[in-house]
Amino acid sequence: MSGEKGKINRRDFFKGTAIGVMGGTLAMMGIYSYSPWRKGHFPKVERKLADIGACKNIKVTNISETSWFENAHLMGDIKGAGGLLVNQYDYNWPPFGDGSGLGKGSYEKGIAKIKHLLPDKLDEAWAVTEKLSVHPENAGGYACLIELEELNGKKHKYLLDSGWSYKWTDECFKREGIDKMLENREIEALFISHEHFDHFWGLPVTMKYDPTITMYIPEGFYPEGLQYIKDAGHKGKVIKVKAGLNPVIPGMASFVFAIPIICRVYGEQSLYFNIKDKGLVSVTGCCHQSIIQFAETAYREIKYENDNLYGVYGGLHISPFEDWDPKYDDLVISLGKYGFEKIGCNHCTGILCAKKFISAGYPVVEGTAQNRSKDKAYLGNGDKIGFGIEV
Amino acid sequence: MEKFGIDYLEERSLTQRWPQPIPAIVSLVFTLILFYATWWIFQDPRGWMRMYTPYVGYMYTRWWLIVLIWMVYIFNYWPFKRSWLEKTHPLIKGGVLTAVSFGVLYILIKGFFEGLLGNFGLAYFNPGQLTKLPGVTEFFAIEYAALACLMFAAIASWLSPAWVVACEEAPWQDLKQPGKGVSILIMTFFLSTLVYFMTMHSHMGILYYPWQYFTSIAPPYWEKFANTVSGNFHVSWIMCCTVTVWIVETIWGRYPFNLIKRNWLRRLVAFFGIIAIAFAMHFFLYFLQEMTWGPAIRGTRRAFAPDWRWLHVGEMAVFFLVPALFITFYCNNWPKKFSMPVNVLIRTVITIVAAILLYILYYKTSHNFLGTQKGFSHPQQFPMIPTIWLINIWLVHHWFMDNWPGWKMVPKTAEEIARDHEAEQALVRDVRWNPALGWGMGVGAVVGVVAYFITIALLPVFYAAIDVIK
Repeated sequence: MSGEKGKINRRDFFKGTAIGVMGGTLAMMGIYSYSPWRKGHFPKVERKLADIGACKNIKVTNISETSWFENAHLMGDIKGAGGLLVNQYDYNWPPFGDGSGLGKGSYEKGIAKIKHLLPDKLDEAWAVTEKLSVHPENAGGYACLIELEELNGKKHKYLLDSGWSYKWTDECFKREGIDKMLENREIEALFISHEHFDHFWGLPVTMKYDPTITMYIPEGFYPEGLQYIKDAGHKGKVIKVKAGLNPVIPGMASFVFAIPIICRVYGEQSLYFNIKDKGLVSVTGCCHQSIIQFAETAYREIKYENDNLYGVYGGLHISPFEDWDPKYDDLVISLGKYGFEKIGCNHCTGILCAKKFISAGYPVVEGTAQNRSKDKAYLGNGDKIGFGIEV
Repeated sequence: MEKFGIDYLEERSLTQRWPQPIPAIVSLVFTLILFYATWWIFQDPRGWMRMYTPYVGYMYTRWWLIVLIWMVYIFNYWPFKRSWLEKTHPLIKGGVLTAVSFGVLYILIKGFFEGLLGNFGLAYFNPGQLTKLPGVTEFFAIEYAALACLMFAAIASWLSPAWVVACEEAPWQDLKQPGKGVSILIMTFFLSTLVYFMTMHSHMGILYYPWQYFTSIAPPYWEKFANTVSGNFHVSWIMCCTVTVWIVETIWGRYPFNLIKRNWLRRLVAFFGIIAIAFAMHFFLYFLQEMTWGPAIRGTRRAFAPDWRWLHVGEMAVFFLVPALFITFYCNNWPKKFSMPVNVLIRTVITIVAAILLYILYYKTSHNFLGTQKGFSHPQQFPMIPTIWLINIWLVHHWFMDNWPGWKMVPKTAEEIARDHEAEQALVRDVRWNPALGWGMGVGAVVGVVAYFITIALLPVFYAAIDVIK
C-alpha cells in the first residue's frame, strides 16, 4: 500500500529498490560490458624491458622431432586408457611398462623392472621394457642441441630435452655426435621443457654419457618425475626454475609458464635468445602456452634487438595429433601480425599446420624429411637452422 | 481420463521428515555420494568407463540433462501413470525412470545422431564416417562426432525448457499427452536445428582441412565481433540462456515476466527477455575475465585465447545454476517472507555468493578427486561436465525420487492446490505501480549501476587476494 498522501511506503519503496537494483545491474551488464568503453578499464601494458643481454648467433640441430611414429597407435592407446587426462605414468608405455596392460601401469611398478639397469645398461633396460610395455616400437622422442656464440666469441652448448625411447634417442644422439659431446662435457646443461613422456622419459640416455650434467626443470614436476631424475642416475645439480623469466647467460633466458598440460603434466619451460642486430628467437619444446603467448610475454618482459621478433624453432603445439580446431585457425590467422622472419617449426606443430603456415605465406624453413621425419613442410630429424648465422 | 504426470510437480506436497537444515544436508550428502559413485563409474579418467575424454562424457552428460527435461517438463512423465508416480517407492521410481532415461539417451545418440543423421545427412555426427577420411584417428573421430552432438545439446538444453518456462507450452498447453509432448519436442528440435546451423555448423565446417567453403560459412560471420572463428562464442551465450531459463524457473519463480498479464505478451517477453538477460551475462562474464587476466589475445592458447574465454563464460555461468537449484530443490526457495522482488533479489545475491565460493572451491580442489587437471584453462578441463552431472543427479533426486529420504511425497488436496494458486496470484498482485515503488526503482537502478562499477573495479583486487590455483 502506498500509505498516506505525501509519505513514502517503506515496503513499496524496498520492493521498487529490489526491482531497480536488478534492472540497473542487468542493463549495465548488457550495454557496457562488451562496449568499446570497457577498454578504458584495462591497465596499460607496462613493458618491463628486462635486459638479458645479447648473443652473436645460435645454431639449432634437430636431434629428433619425431616423438612417436604412428599417430593412430598413440591415439589408440590414449583412447583405450581413458583419454587425454589419464596420468602419463599409468598408460603402461615404455619405459614404465609392467606387463599389466594399457592404462593399468604406474611409475613405481614400471621403474622397478629397469631401475637396476639405469643409466649404463640401456639396451638391456629397453629390451626388458619392450616386452612389458604397450607399443614400445612407437616411441620416438624430442631433443635438440643449441649452440650459442656470445658477442666475445665464446661458445656454449645446451640440450633441450632428452627424447623418449632409449633406443631411438641413443641412435639419434650417436647420429648427431651428442654422445661424444656429453662424454667430453662440452654440453653445459640439459633444459627439460616439460615432464611429458616424449621430452623427458629418455633422460637415462643423457645420463649414460654425462650423469653430472646440470638440469633445469620447470616448477610443477610431479613426484614421479622428480623420482625419475634420481632413478635415471643423475648425480648433478637440478635447478627447479620458477614461473617467469630466468636469465641464463648473456643473450639467453628461460621462461617458465605455469600451465596445465594433457596427460597430467604441469608447467613448461621455453627459451629466449636475443640475437645481436636481428631480434628475439624462441626455442621451444612444445610451446603449450602458444607461440603468440610466448611472443606477447617477450614483448612485456624483455628488451630485445630492434624490438623485432626474429625467429622460432621447435614444436608450436598446434596439432600434435594432426587434429584440428577452429581456435588453431585463430593462431594461423594471427601469427602473421608478429612478423617472424624465420619459422623453423616441427614436432607438435603438426604437418597440417605447417602447410597452413606455408599457404598463408609465412617464412617457414622447410626440411629434408630424412631420418624418419615425414614431410618436407617442416624441419626434420638431423636438419639444422641458424639464427644470425647461416648453416 | 489418465492425467499422467501433468502438473505432478505442482500438485505434490513434499513434507520434510525432519526440521531444516537436516533434510537439506541429508539430501546434499546423499546426492554427493551418488554423484561421486557415478562419476567414478562413468566419467573419471581413473575410473571404470572413463568417458571424460572429455567430449564423449560431456556429450552424454548434456544429452542426459535434456532427456530428463523431456521426460518431466515436456512429456510430463508419460507413459507412466499418475497413480504409479504417487504410490511407488521413490527408490524404485528413481531406478525405473533413470533406466528409461538412459535407454532414451542411448537410442538418441546411437540411433538418431550417429545412425540416422551421421549416415544419411552430416558425416561429422558419425565417428565411423570420419575415420574414412585420411589422417583422422579413431580417437579424434569419436571426439569430433561427440563435439557436434554436444553442441546440438547445448542449444536443446536451452530451448526445450524455454518452451515450457517462457512460452508456457503454448499453443499446445491444453493438449493431452503424448500429443503435447510430441508437439513441443518437434518444435524445440526444429528450433534447435535452425540455431545449430546458424551457430555451430560453421565451427564444424572449419574443423576439417580444407575449410568447407561450399557447405558452411567460412570464415564464420561472427569472427570480427567475437575475435575468434570458434563456435565457443555461441556456446557461451547459449549456455547463459540455459542457466537463465532455470534461474527464472527456480529462484525467480518466473519473475519478472509473471507480472505481465496478457498471455501472448508475457510469453513473448519471457522468451526474448531470457535471451536478453543471457546476453548481458555473456558479455559481463567475458568482461570479468578481461578485468582479471587482462584482454584476450587472438591466436594464443589457454587462458588468453578468446575462444577459451567465451567457453569459460559458459563454464562460469553453470556455477550459478548449482546453488540456484539447491535453493529451490532443498531449501524450499528460501526466503519467502518478503515481497516477490525482494525475495528474488535476496535469493539472487545468495546464489551469486555461493557460485563464487563454489567456483573457487572447484578450481582449488577438484583435480584432487575428480581426476581432472589443475588450472583454469586446460583444454581437457570442463567444469561443465561435473557440474551438469551433479545437476542431473539432483534432477533425478528431485523429479524422480521426490527428494527421498529427506522429504515424503503426499499429493495435495484440491483445496491446497487452490490455496497455492491464490498465494502466487497475491504475490503478483502485490507488485503494482505507485509512487513509492517508482522512487524505489529509481534509487535501485542507481544502486545497480554503482554496484556494477564497484564490482568491476574490485574484481582484480579480489582475484589478486585469493590464490585460487597454487
